[in-house]
Amino acid sequence: MSALVTVDPLVLAPALAPAVGVVLVLLGDALLPRRGGGRWALPAAAAVLVVGAVAAATGPLRAGGATLRTLCLPAPDGACLWTADPRTSALQTGVLLAAAAALAVRHDGRPRPRDGAVTATLLLAATTGGVAVAAARDLGSWLVALELATVPAVALVALRGTRPAAHAALSLLVTSLVSFALLVLGAALWLTATGDAAFASDTAGLAWTDPQRRAVLVLALVVLVAGLGFKLSLVPFHAWTPQAYAHADLGTALFLAAASKLSAAAALLVPVSALAGAQIGGLAPTAVLAAPALASLGLGTVVALRQRDPARLLAWSTVAQAGWVLVPLTAPTAEGLRASAAYVLVYATATTVAFAALARTGARSLEDHRGLVRRDPLAGGALALALLVLAGLPPGVVGLVVKVLALAPPVAAGLWPVALVGVLAVVVGLAVYLRWFAVLLAPAPDEGGARPARPRSTAVVLVLGTAVLALTSALPHLLLGSLG
Amino acid sequence: MVVSLLLALPAAAGLWLLTGARGLDVRPARRTALAAAVGTLVLAVAVVVADSAVDRPWLPELGVRWSFGVDGVSVPLVLLTAAVGVLVAGHAWVEVPAGGSPATFLGCLLLVEAGALATFTARDAVLFFVAFEVVLVPMWLLISRYGDGHDPRARTGAAQRFVLYTAVGSTVMLVGILLLVARAGTSDLVALAAARGSGLGGAGFAVALLLVVGLAVKVPVFPLHTWLPPAHTTAPTAGSVLLAAVLLKMGTYGLVRLPVSVTPDGVATLAPALAVAGTVGILWGGLVCLVERDLKRLVAYSSVAHMGFVVLALATGSETGLQAALYGNVAHGAVSALLFVLVGGLKQRWGSVDLAVRRPALRETSPRLGFLLLLGLAASLGLPGLAGFWGEWLALYAAWVPAGDRPRVVFVTCAVLAAVGAALAAAYALRVAGIVWAGDRPDPEAARTPDTTGPERWVLGVLAVAVVALGVAPMVLLTTTGDAVARIVGAR
Repeated sequence: MSALVTVDPLVLAPALAPAVGVVLVLLGDALLPRRGGGRWALPAAAAVLVVGAVAAATGPLRAGGATLRTLCLPAPDGACLWTADPRTSALQTGVLLAAAAALAVRHDGRPRPRDGAVTATLLLAATTGGVAVAAARDLGSWLVALELATVPAVALVALRGTRPAAHAALSLLVTSLVSFALLVLGAALWLTATGDAAFASDTAGLAWTDPQRRAVLVLALVVLVAGLGFKLSLVPFHAWTPQAYAHADLGTALFLAAASKLSAAAALLVPVSALAGAQIGGLAPTAVLAAPALASLGLGTVVALRQRDPARLLAWSTVAQAGWVLVPLTAPTAEGLRASAAYVLVYATATTVAFAALARTGARSLEDHRGLVRRDPLAGGALALALLVLAGLPPGVVGLVVKVLALAPPVAAGLWPVALVGVLAVVVGLAVYLRWFAVLLAPAPDEGGARPARPRSTAVVLVLGTAVLALTSALPHLLLGSLG
Repeated sequence: MVVSLLLALPAAAGLWLLTGARGLDVRPARRTALAAAVGTLVLAVAVVVADSAVDRPWLPELGVRWSFGVDGVSVPLVLLTAAVGVLVAGHAWVEVPAGGSPATFLGCLLLVEAGALATFTARDAVLFFVAFEVVLVPMWLLISRYGDGHDPRARTGAAQRFVLYTAVGSTVMLVGILLLVARAGTSDLVALAAARGSGLGGAGFAVALLLVVGLAVKVPVFPLHTWLPPAHTTAPTAGSVLLAAVLLKMGTYGLVRLPVSVTPDGVATLAPALAVAGTVGILWGGLVCLVERDLKRLVAYSSVAHMGFVVLALATGSETGLQAALYGNVAHGAVSALLFVLVGGLKQRWGSVDLAVRRPALRETSPRLGFLLLLGLAASLGLPGLAGFWGEWLALYAAWVPAGDRPRVVFVTCAVLAAVGAALAAAYALRVAGIVWAGDRPDPEAARTPDTTGPERWVLGVLAVAVVALGVAPMVLLTTTGDAVARIVGAR
């Protein structure tokens, strides 16, 4: 017995990078307190995240498209605690880059963040969890990673120090605790049903054949979806979202809207891919996933139509888009899983760009964006493209393509209610985003006022995010091909 | 390869005008746009002559290929679109509406043209849908930003209604396409048309229903037409021309390409309903035109009536019917473009085109405009020898003798009622001619309506020649579409 488990640090690098980053930032802060007010910590953390993202993105290339495994138990059991197929790697890359974008926006925030080291530590810790949960296949690591991804986010919201921020953090904290309790319960039920401490297709398939264990498995799925519903902002577990987005600083809001959603979706894909692998379908799992999906699509889209504060509009748009992430999963197949991952990646990119544009303009109402395309072509153009992608209208072709992909599995499976609500959500969603889009293009008000500062790192996020959206709009295969 | 250039040229020029050259002055902007449009027309002719096609993987995950090409059904529409593109770019010398930079306006025109060309050449169902959506945002911009400046609220409302109605239609169509692709296992339109709906099983009717309803919004078929009149009334002249001559054609082209070719049995079941809807549209449009005061809105309602003839012809399922539909499609493109340029010009001169306002007779103040208006109205009412005649006459004949599997009673009734609708068209055309052309005696004090000059005369002249040519030599167009139509109907 030479080694209990095999460890491949290169495979683990996407999660190791932010974890090592936490240690480095804490060490640096201990050795050089007050140096530059701790502002060095944010760029350092962003650099670490980019390294992690490169490791995650190149993983499938190194493995030639095969699944990366490590932390494997010795034979005969041979289960691996870290299993990253190309889809997982793509989601991990997304989480890491979204977190780096959040740091960049936070770095430019006004007033200048004084607690750079704390922010960087919290954000890196949350990112570690978000990356690890995507590759976790056993219940224990999955739960721990998911919690690691959530708790620091609460502190990030609270860090702003204002009273509304504290309220928002409190509601987020309560929500996360309830969600954690549900997830633990769900994991326990899964273990009861399958007798397996991992999300595996074979044991889930066996449990499905026994009517009694099947009931427990369905219950486990209900509770797991409810627990993840909090993190994904699915109706009826969405109430914290508008509050947190509107009262946290924009960097944190970006993290919650992009990185957090990516890791939550990655976490959801773990049990669903176990079901899909066992070809478990039928009314029960479909209903469990379709009910929150349809409720989110309906409520999120309609309420977003009435918002005047851009952050709140994006919050309700998140609710609606979370519904879209679930739509392809209502018919759990390999295509559905890929469509869901593609959707959440595109959503996260577009939302990152939108929040970065919001941070650059500092607008507190939609009217503040009047004529933005003319006044600030970079922010205005990037925001316009992001909104078109979210709406699914060319020239934001990639947004349209992922909507097509998302609707294909339920239509192929003949789930007409899902298709019907999808059609309505597309149309009302157009109204939501075009309302904002129209303001961007309207004639600019004549104001000779001082031009606001144009922070550099947010501009980098805008340029890179827009480039990704434009490139994948021309060649959607670049995105979809990376999902295996 | 040429077909890729055909799509890339207007798209690239349009995007450049929208982004990089947004601040360009009106002179260089319209020269650029016209050059791009003329280049597109040359490429379109080259594509048709060389029968160019492109086919490469685009979205292997969905089995979608980047596949464009032309056949008999699409050739007339590709040429029509490219020609109309040149005319609307040339029309920028007559009028560039206020509301934003001229470069943005012209960029939107080129993007609509690019989207329409992609729609007419797409050989893949999902690609067709994506191309179909491309025109939405630029057209929305044209209406909401450059539309009639008198009533901003009405402008916003018209633009929103246009986007939301057509988005409902195209999303319903998308569901139909996805169901079709899932059941048939391919999204290649050529293969789908060859299969003629075999392999769809029980889903054939659902596919046909979704596709027909989705596309009917764009055509538009009564009662889904209510977005069209406000859009036409508010859109700038060039936007109206594109809307009537290009965008509506995407709907009818889609009906021919998708449901009629791919699920003939489902369409046969739906045909009576479609025929009745078309006939009601003919009568409804005609009746509204008898009382409508706004001349632009009147022309829009006459479009509803003309598209009713096209839909009726499509529903008959016979070779004649399909020919009539395609002919009526192109003819309506030319006639409505002529009328919209004319009416837009009158609106520019008079400030409004309210028929209740007494104005000096056009035939005396500006005889050239007056003559062209008469020509347009005559073509619109279906006078023999002009473009409108063949489409309507063939549609009526096809409805009288529908395909064997269609209920003859319904179609004969529809044919009779449609003939009544054609008479209504004569009535409203004469009404307009009486008010605008014959008009009141010119008041020597009143300002004279300036006649057409310069570029406007060229634009109108080309359209008038097209209207006459289509009417005098229908066989040129009918033989072009003949083979493709026989292929679509043939195996039935």
